[in-house]
Amino acid sequence: MLDAVKPALDYHALNAMLNLYDDQGRIRFDADRMAARQYFLQHVNQNTVFFHSLDEKLGYLVEEGYYEPEVLDQYSRNFQRRIWAEAYARKFRFPTFLGAFKYYTSYTLKTRDGQRYLERYEDRVVMVALTLARGDETLALRFMDEIISGRFQPATPTFLNAGKTSRGELISCFLLRIEDNMESIGRSINSALQLSKRGGGVALMLTNLREAGAPIKGIENQSSGVIPVMKLLEDSFSYANQLGARQGAGAVYLNAHHPDILRFLDTKRENADEKIRIKTLSLGVVIPDITFELAKKNQDMYLFSPHDVQKVYGLPFSEISVTEKYAEMVDDKRIRKKKINARAFFQTLAEIQFESGYPYIMFEDTVNRANPIHGRITMSNLCSEILQVNEASTYNEDLSYAHLGTDISCNLGSLNIAATMDGPDFGATVESAIRALTAVSEMSAIEAVPSIRRGNDEAHAVGLGQMNLHGFLARERIHYGSPEGVEFTSVYFAAVAYHAIRASCLLAQEKGTTFKDFDKSTYADGSFFDRYTSRDWLPVLPEVARLFGAIALPSRDDWAQLKADVMRHGLYNRNLQAVPPTGSISYINNSTSSIHPIVAKIEIRKEGKIGRVYYPAAFMSNDNLDYYRDAYDIGPDAIIDTYAAASEHVDQGLSLTLFFPAEATTRDINRAQIRAWKKGIKTIYYIRLRQTALEGTEVQGCVSCTL
Amino acid sequence: MKDHAAGCAIRKAINWNRMQDDKDLEVWNRLTVNFWLPEKVPLSNDVQSWATLRPEERELTIRVFTGLTLLDTVQNTVGAPSMLPDATTPHEEAVLTNIAFMEAVHARSYSSIFSTLCLTKEVDEAFRWSEENPHLQAKARLICEEYKAGADPLKRKIASVFLESFLFYSGFYLPMYWSSRAKLTNTADLIRLIIRDEAVHGYYIGYKYQRGLETQPEARRQELKDFAFALMFDLYDIEQRYTAELYDGLGLTEDVKAFLHYNANKALQNLGYEALFPPAACEVNPAILAALSPDSENHDFFSGSGSSYVIGKAVATEDEDWDF
Repeated sequence: MLDAVKPALDYHALNAMLNLYDDQGRIRFDADRMAARQYFLQHVNQNTVFFHSLDEKLGYLVEEGYYEPEVLDQYSRNFQRRIWAEAYARKFRFPTFLGAFKYYTSYTLKTRDGQRYLERYEDRVVMVALTLARGDETLALRFMDEIISGRFQPATPTFLNAGKTSRGELISCFLLRIEDNMESIGRSINSALQLSKRGGGVALMLTNLREAGAPIKGIENQSSGVIPVMKLLEDSFSYANQLGARQGAGAVYLNAHHPDILRFLDTKRENADEKIRIKTLSLGVVIPDITFELAKKNQDMYLFSPHDVQKVYGLPFSEISVTEKYAEMVDDKRIRKKKINARAFFQTLAEIQFESGYPYIMFEDTVNRANPIHGRITMSNLCSEILQVNEASTYNEDLSYAHLGTDISCNLGSLNIAATMDGPDFGATVESAIRALTAVSEMSAIEAVPSIRRGNDEAHAVGLGQMNLHGFLARERIHYGSPEGVEFTSVYFAAVAYHAIRASCLLAQEKGTTFKDFDKSTYADGSFFDRYTSRDWLPVLPEVARLFGAIALPSRDDWAQLKADVMRHGLYNRNLQAVPPTGSISYINNSTSSIHPIVAKIEIRKEGKIGRVYYPAAFMSNDNLDYYRDAYDIGPDAIIDTYAAASEHVDQGLSLTLFFPAEATTRDINRAQIRAWKKGIKTIYYIRLRQTALEGTEVQGCVSCTL
Repeated sequence: MKDHAAGCAIRKAINWNRMQDDKDLEVWNRLTVNFWLPEKVPLSNDVQSWATLRPEERELTIRVFTGLTLLDTVQNTVGAPSMLPDATTPHEEAVLTNIAFMEAVHARSYSSIFSTLCLTKEVDEAFRWSEENPHLQAKARLICEEYKAGADPLKRKIASVFLESFLFYSGFYLPMYWSSRAKLTNTADLIRLIIRDEAVHGYYIGYKYQRGLETQPEARRQELKDFAFALMFDLYDIEQRYTAELYDGLGLTEDVKAFLHYNANKALQNLGYEALFPPAACEVNPAILAALSPDSENHDFFSGSGSSYVIGKAVATEDEDWDF
């Protein structure tokens, strides 16, 4: 019908109509569906290379060097035909324009001139499944089934790259330590370049660098502190990108008690001088409990010179618990220090967050208390969901390693909660996902950064995430953040934790090995399982019980059995869960992002590669709009409660963004931070603001502009 | 008009705690939280995208931006200052100086775009083009005529609203168009910040115009309305020729005109008048209209800075907040 009304509109205009109400005040979902259809008719179909048969296609793609023959050679031609036929038989269709547009713009295999498409969605899914199954036909069919049914979605680097000859790495995310010496700084910049080139986001820890004005070789006032290092990193990231496919991106973390902390934050000020302004590098602050205690008492907080701390304790600053040693360090004359008011610090933090959305926050003591692994967590990553232990490296003068430490990598993938709940076997879906992520870890060996390689080889850390929580709850007519919503989150994540640990224990048995230092973890002594064997994590509210229906949930006995198995056989993966923010993949997967509430009924998505595109929330129609209150409307408390319920069962972190109206004050942000910390939240990702248009200046009839 | 020199005879300090018109404070607050500088936008992320534009598309884009620079310059150095003596409250004066300053920021930011994306020669040529283009000069002349000392204060406001709410938009169209096609998206962010400001400027000056109009007798009101519509016709006439000259090459003229109609109506609405163009003539391409709203945009933080951050209100926490 729209065809008849607006024959001249192209798919971009049709898609934009989503953001404009029709004359009866309804959202035009039909326009977006039409946009998706027109996108195929007007653009995709005309620009896709045609092959008569699968054999012809695969022959061409291998011969022309587009597909890795090693991937296909692991399987018989008959099996290849079978898996492709089964994938195409699913009749996959993109439900939204953005899903299709994002897939064809950013993921699908194109001819080298970038003009024509060589893959459909089904081809990409099968290639990912074949790559990760490494010759195991049953596993390949399982992976294909989980991905094409939308239950499991590998993260972008895996989904984009698997099976292609010209490609970046399959891993999403890297975390590097920097120690207080020039070799380490130089090596880190090299590593940042190498990892960006291969397509990962990189976070670096600056906590151990000596502050501005600290002595070098005993001569006072020599060091320039952390800011110039940040500038070097920012430029490195802009320079390197993955064959132009992804912008290099980086984050830096600094402890709140580092003397450069205020300068660090000021780099994001609106009126920062060009010499110190940081535009694209992301910032994170590591905050220990003591900072909150000092603010509560309205006292000053002391900042300690990392250089002196290292001299006194013989350990880098990051390895010291500031909370534990605070009084001791304050009294120690050998450590130079300055002080700022603790509440003023929190207020400054909120001011900068207002202006820029940064910094991220990692609650250091919460994170370390919840860490089942031996060692200390000192930083997080670009999306603040990776929380793993690391170990410093030391260098010789020629930049070779005197001691090879470990740095962190993590490959991610997410389950679509709605599809997983609808699926035939909950436990099998989680297990397949853990197996797929483990395959990525085993297939990756980043030679360019040996500390990353060593970390991955010893840990096989993976991060299983979740998305579409809001979409699922709304479809089931449950409000996000309601008691039912929070209880569902708790029960769901407990069940995922159970099956993820079960899968990793199976892997340990199959492979006959565990991650390094398993014996020092709280999995090995069984204490990790105490909270699962001492109480139930099952639905109490009837509405939540209804949602789980016939899905078998782990009982206390199941957990006790799992505890015995794990203590006996160990775990293969040091880390299992991490809930990323899921941007791109949630559009392709037709999900709401992560376990956040939606940002708007019609989300305006802007990216360098795709421009401005409009995206309707999953399962939304003009009849159930009530359940799609957006994040600004829902407010920080409901988000924090939901994340707190999930955090209990996630060994790493969860990207938690807080949303405020622009009329909010820094005090509102501080209160939300205090609440988050109190509730056991591990990290806070962005602070986002929405300004309502001044009355009289708004764009009329616009869905996402109306409150 | 009051004599400005005489106004200085008795100096009075501005007291923001005694407001004659609450709108002044509301708009002042909005403008100050919206403060921004072009350096915050990572324009250099558009360099690759710029290279994908055809030479004629690049030339058009630079010309459009020089045209906008010219209008911002007029508003910065002539328009906003010329309204200062007409201000009815000291707070209005303060708001106008803020408007004047932000117009300078806008004019400055086009040069940031140029220095990031273009060659000096291309930019110099475009600036000369802007000085020689008859349509551009004609509309600047028409507006400046009303800004002259001794001109009617209310007519000055009409001209100013038309500049802020109407004349800019033939230029704003292009970056919105590019961004809807995934080109120059960071440049579009910067332009959206400008649009965010101009929307408030046009609205506020229009508001002050309507307050001024309330004090006028009926005959004078009719005269002003006739003047407003006559000026709009004149400007529209120039504007459509300017639009055709710029956009014919890309085949976008009809689309831009619909956008002009839409914004002409908005400008008249700011003055409290009825729409001039019927809805059918204002059917703006949805991709452009939807692109105007900076609210709640969910951007990819790693490639852009977005246009929704503001300077927050700092309020200290109290003991009760630290209750744990």
